[in-house]
Amino acid sequence: MKTTATAAKRSQKKASGGSDALGANSEIGRKLKQYYDELISDDIPDKFADLLRQLEEREEAQPARQGE
Amino acid sequence: MAPTFKDELLAAIPSLRAFAMSLAQNADKADDLVQETLVKAWDKQSSFQPGTNLKAWIFTILRNEFYSQMRKRGREVQDSDGAITARLAVHPSQHGSMDLDDFRAALETLPEDQREAIILIGASGFSYEEAAEICGCAVGTIKSRVSRARARLQEVLSVAGEGDFGPDPIAAQVMGSNAA
Repeated sequence: MKTTATAAKRSQKKASGGSDALGANSEIGRKLKQYYDELISDDIPDKFADLLRQLEEREEAQPARQGE
Repeated sequence: MAPTFKDELLAAIPSLRAFAMSLAQNADKADDLVQETLVKAWDKQSSFQPGTNLKAWIFTILRNEFYSQMRKRGREVQDSDGAITARLAVHPSQHGSMDLDDFRAALETLPEDQREAIILIGASGFSYEEAAEICGCAVGTIKSRVSRARARLQEVLSVAGEGDFGPDPIAAQVMGSNAA
């Protein structure tokens, strides 16, 4: 229980910024971060980097048309 | 050398994709959204002001894309009938603790405007001002969506509020007299 109290105190300080109700000491706030962190750490398919490379090549092949 | 536009886009992909997943609730749709967003962002490159927040800029594009796709599909995701209400009650596996699946299911029960608000503020790390800009609404609107989202999640998950983790009323009666 001691660690919980310390963590709560620490996050009170931190939460003074903006996300008040969703600070690390709220169950909802913690789950939300856990949910999102799991999504962020997913493997990113190569197709996105491939797509950006294609877009870049396309642009190099035909120089930017200014002010259409 | 300063990172190129492409480098910055690449760096934004993981969080962009996480946001897409939380909006679309489906990996294939989310990936389509991200791809479409990258193409749009690339084409609108000249409208991005270097030095401003690229992450907020690209989240805005993705969000607009998401809603325009939804409109084309006739807003199938809208919380308008029993389909979602039936899923409303999510019972945490043990009282007091909920696992991530419970939470995910609860998030799905939120209307999109509330879900995106609570994700942007509570998970993606945007300020209320940035979230308001991304969603094209007032800061106060974001605040109220976040608080409604939070209240609804607590209700759905039967999580007690801050500092309110006491036993249920019956247990409190059994346990003694100092329950106010």
